[in-house]
Amino acid sequence: MTELIISQVVNGLVLGFLYVLIAIGLSIIFGMLGIVNFAHGVYFALGAYFALTLRDSLGPWAIVLAPLCVGIVGMIIEMTLMRPLYGKEPLLGLFMTFGIALFIEELIRTIWGATGHPFNPPAFLSGFVIWGPVLVTKYRLFVLVVTVSILLALWLFLRGTRYGRIIRAGSRDPEMVSMLGINLKRVFTAVFGLGTAVAGIAGVLAAPLWSVVPSMSEAAIMPAFVVVTIGGLGSFAGAVISGLLVGVSVALSIQFWPAASTAVMYALMIVVLLIRPRGLLGESWERFE
Amino acid sequence: MKKSRNNGFGISRRTLLAGAAFGVTQLSAPFVITARAAEAIKIGLLLPKSGPYATQGETGHNGAQIAVDDFGGHVLDRPIEIVWLDEANPQTSQQNMRKLLEEEKVVAVQGGVSSGDVLAIMPVAEQAKTLLMATGPNATEITGKNCNKYTFRVDLPNKVTVQSVYPILKERGKKWYFVVASYAWGIDAYAQMKDVLVKDGGTVVGYDQAPLGTTDYSSYLLKVRQAKPDVVFVGLGGTDLTNFLKQMHEIGLTRQMGLSGPIVNDTDLWAAGPDVAFGIFPKLWNYTGPHITKRSADFAAAYQKKNGAPPEVEGWQDWFGATAILTAIKETKSTDSTKLVAFLEQHKFDGYKDTPIGFRNFDHQLIQPLLVTRVKEKITDKYDYFDILSEYPKDPSQLEAAYGTQAEIGCTFKS
Repeated sequence: MTELIISQVVNGLVLGFLYVLIAIGLSIIFGMLGIVNFAHGVYFALGAYFALTLRDSLGPWAIVLAPLCVGIVGMIIEMTLMRPLYGKEPLLGLFMTFGIALFIEELIRTIWGATGHPFNPPAFLSGFVIWGPVLVTKYRLFVLVVTVSILLALWLFLRGTRYGRIIRAGSRDPEMVSMLGINLKRVFTAVFGLGTAVAGIAGVLAAPLWSVVPSMSEAAIMPAFVVVTIGGLGSFAGAVISGLLVGVSVALSIQFWPAASTAVMYALMIVVLLIRPRGLLGESWERFE
Repeated sequence: MKKSRNNGFGISRRTLLAGAAFGVTQLSAPFVITARAAEAIKIGLLLPKSGPYATQGETGHNGAQIAVDDFGGHVLDRPIEIVWLDEANPQTSQQNMRKLLEEEKVVAVQGGVSSGDVLAIMPVAEQAKTLLMATGPNATEITGKNCNKYTFRVDLPNKVTVQSVYPILKERGKKWYFVVASYAWGIDAYAQMKDVLVKDGGTVVGYDQAPLGTTDYSSYLLKVRQAKPDVVFVGLGGTDLTNFLKQMHEIGLTRQMGLSGPIVNDTDLWAAGPDVAFGIFPKLWNYTGPHITKRSADFAAAYQKKNGAPPEVEGWQDWFGATAILTAIKETKSTDSTKLVAFLEQHKFDGYKDTPIGFRNFDHQLIQPLLVTRVKEKITDKYDYFDILSEYPKDPSQLEAAYGTQAEIGCTFKS
């Protein structure tokens, strides 16, 4: 029994990293732009569908190119649909992103059809490794490595570079940053592109594991919101801790009480919100107080 | 407080425009009146537009459209209109059922992929005394202890399907693991299959209920792997089944043990892909195979022509469901549900399967032969996934008996 529990905990941690990857783009866009992006799930789905289309002609390059395409779509949407809403009632942004979500999902259904598409992991990543009681598939290990690298890269970019400092300053006090002569519009577009591209990466990586269907965004958006809410909106470290927490809770509930395995993440969210309404590592923001 | 701009007369520009538009409709009134004489006969469709069963919703809708085409778009000299509302969960289905009945004034409703949703809308149909043609649910109780006078079912009850595949599955061994969706259909599938297995001396080595719409089954599969069963019986459908199969493949369990379920939809396997799909399944219908009739082959051809892919089984079910409703309307020259019910209780539909099929008058279950199928060893076509092993029951004279007697079914209609 102990062995099975250990193997479930590890499996949950690995699953947690996938949740973190799905959630992190949502967290970036909220943290920097203050937009609660209901359309996050469809950028995830677009990542998978772009990879599906590109892989026939480009092979492995599709994995790199698909998220880039998603980022470009994200930037176009930011410039045309999101920008006019900055500084307005936050509710408008919610409606807009919700509308975009419905629209893109229908668009996917129209272009690629309602029926799902097969999507296997590459042959060299098939199989699994076993250490004692722990079994992890090679593909999930690959997802884990990619996720950790992306998190590190994002963290270094935001903390260590000039652009990162501009983004962070702009998120806290846009007026002041504009007065310093920085074109914030362009910065915001880039951040939105970055957030949606990360969602696209998550979609590409999830495609061999989960169904590639137009409604696959649903599978992503709920865990993403739960993870971000538990971790604290906009907090990087919070999203990581909470993603892993959700992964392990889900895995353990499947061991002992599988019927409750979806409910358990919402229960976790309720408990955290009751004790700490801001989320685990959420900071207080003047803009939203 | 929002300020409204007006032109000084207290009439806004929008009101003026609306007024003008109204004037135009009045001018064109004579044409409207002729159109009214041939008011459409509306059939309500409740099928999922979102969630795990969205694909079945789409194929079901496509199938029903073919039935409308078969009738030339008209019945009783009135155009046929299909009104499709979402079957998202029991509550929404109930609300949409009411909307179809009260606002859309449909003459009958068909659909229902999830047994949970169908069990929720059955009392609404009964209260409104309106025909409900349940095309896609499998929980035994729908035409069993929860049956009612206005509900007919096209799909197969779990109790029948589990018996059709058991003899071939038990050759793999009698240690079974069950993973089922945690609602009416999955729970009933477990109960029915377990009954057959245990009576035959088999054992249940594991039983998990997974929430509908689960994406990641890796933790379940760790348990399955640990238990080393001879057969995994999955009461999962839609994306749930696709996800389960994909992750079975990921962990290297594909074709390593027997796999079966209470029913299967082609689209769930098409979405999984040829390397990933395997198993032995009971199936209501298949677009290829020796069982196919001329009429069903014509349907498959029309469907393929219109939608660019062959019909999966849900397409046939909703095509048949809509055909049954429209035939009843045509033959009784009426849209009154009481008459439609009386017609369906005695009519035999010939040419749809290789034996005439009809709804039984005491439980409203469609009595039809079903197929025992195996996913091909080597799948070469994008859509052709199944080998037909046999029909069930093998002896056509046993057809009625295979669905149970009135005493076994436990269905009594409130009159």
